[in-house]
Amino acid sequence: MSETTTSRLAPWRRSAAGSVGLYSYFVRLAFLKFLAYRLRYYTGVVSYTIFVTGHYYIYSALFASAVADSPDGLVGGLTLPEMITYVAVSWIGRSFYFNNIARELSRQIQEGEIAVLLIKPFHVQTVMMFEAIGESGFRLLMFTLPIMVVIVPLFRIQGPPEPMLYLWTFVSFCLALVIYSQFNFLLGCLAFGMKNIQGVMRAKMVSMDFLTGVVVPFTFFPLWFQHLMDWLPFQYVSYIPVTIYLGKHQGPDLARVLLVQLAWSVALFVAGRFVWQRSVRNVIVQGG
Amino acid sequence: MDLRTQRGTEGFWPRLIWQGRIFGAYFGQFVKMRLAYRMDFLVDTLAVSFSMAIQLTVLSVLFSKIRALDGWSFEQVLFIYGFSLLPLGLFNLISVNFYGFSDKYIIGGKFDRVLLRPVNTLVQVMFESFNVSGLNEIILGTAVMIYAGMKLNFAFGVGDFLALLVLVPSAALVYTGVFLAITSVSFWHEDRMGLAPPVYNIIRFSRYPLTIYSLPVRVFLTFVLPFAWVAFYPATWFIGGGQLPLVALLTVPVGVVVFSGAVWMWHRGAANYASTGS
Repeated sequence: MSETTTSRLAPWRRSAAGSVGLYSYFVRLAFLKFLAYRLRYYTGVVSYTIFVTGHYYIYSALFASAVADSPDGLVGGLTLPEMITYVAVSWIGRSFYFNNIARELSRQIQEGEIAVLLIKPFHVQTVMMFEAIGESGFRLLMFTLPIMVVIVPLFRIQGPPEPMLYLWTFVSFCLALVIYSQFNFLLGCLAFGMKNIQGVMRAKMVSMDFLTGVVVPFTFFPLWFQHLMDWLPFQYVSYIPVTIYLGKHQGPDLARVLLVQLAWSVALFVAGRFVWQRSVRNVIVQGG
Repeated sequence: MDLRTQRGTEGFWPRLIWQGRIFGAYFGQFVKMRLAYRMDFLVDTLAVSFSMAIQLTVLSVLFSKIRALDGWSFEQVLFIYGFSLLPLGLFNLISVNFYGFSDKYIIGGKFDRVLLRPVNTLVQVMFESFNVSGLNEIILGTAVMIYAGMKLNFAFGVGDFLALLVLVPSAALVYTGVFLAITSVSFWHEDRMGLAPPVYNIIRFSRYPLTIYSLPVRVFLTFVLPFAWVAFYPATWFIGGGQLPLVALLTVPVGVVVFSGAVWMWHRGAANYASTGS
């Protein structure tokens, strides 16, 4: 097909307002879809409380044992109350930005459902991103808020040093959602080239919380590891928003990390669009 | 008469042998099926090793800040971790059908088919599918245990070997019992809540020395949700821990009691089963 026919036939050449209407519809749709499964999230609240509780005891023991070696009470540059806040805010944030786009997309590619998506007049990537936003909207109300109601009083979690940091932490977690969903999208695209994507999905599942800094803050690691993470997008999913909450980024530094986060969001979106358009040129669906 | 004895429906031991043969047949079938997808096993080995590498990295990063965690050295905690993978591997090998049991067997009506066969329903459900990933956990867990044991200058005697042979299956019985009990609940209530995931998530915290937790948590993990018996208590047989090594051996009765209770629940539930008719 020549270049001109492709662009003439491209059905997404609609007005900007039309696009906004179309894509925001998917936000609503995703919200309602997850609302139907809300019962599952009640036990999720229990799970997240378990994660925070477990890490609370591990880090409390760690700080108690470290007293002999660090008289100032700092381990990895954090005090114990800061550490507990780090754990709590990490998991609270995770309850918001988390989604399963990679698994969903790779399933659709492998089972051939992708064929149906390809004939529809929208960008699959954009739809999935807006669905992720809808899902996170649902999560915020039905999952993140209940978790906060349980965890904040239970562990006496302190607020950030300045009230404005509530806003910046939320902004940062919203950008984290974009980064996380676009990274997942890219990972899901691997299913175009790989017969067995299970291994990749499991590797992602076990490593993501580690790479984003949910499990251990990066200041615990050797310097070379911290420098390496500076060049990768993962820390912008959790470590950066949480350290913003803790007041570790002030003034120009705060603006800088937020801008880098924004740059990663855009870069991963563009990369996703590029990979997608190269991948769908040659899709083989078996049966279906 | 001849047929009845062959089917092993008379007496406890003939029945057990009969069910063992069924297990062998199921496993043989599964291995044949798996061999068709050799790559899957390789991918699984890589995934399990990768997951272990990350968990070991986390442990060593945490221990780079301290000399001992609440008096437990890095090697001791490493040993508990390695040990915990053995019963977990055994459990994972047979428990794969517990996940989504409600969806597949109850709502999907697959349990009708199970009831038609003259073999114990639990044996059928447990052995209808295996998770080879369990083998990887057993192999890698053993490697970690040997490494930590060597670092601890641990003299591994015949008695320790026998203890290992008894403690690992007992701890696996605790895992199986807990999740079997949860699965059995779906005979009465369709599991829409997803009770298993929060319980499953506690496992990762049962690999740390129990002494770091507060008294209520310790009591909970010892008596209510007995995950202290899947790694910490049995591992104290080898690494010590200021208590009598006999506590470790209590894993055996705990495993038997938890598992028997769960089996009893399962059969009560199976008797209560009403097909969805689909």
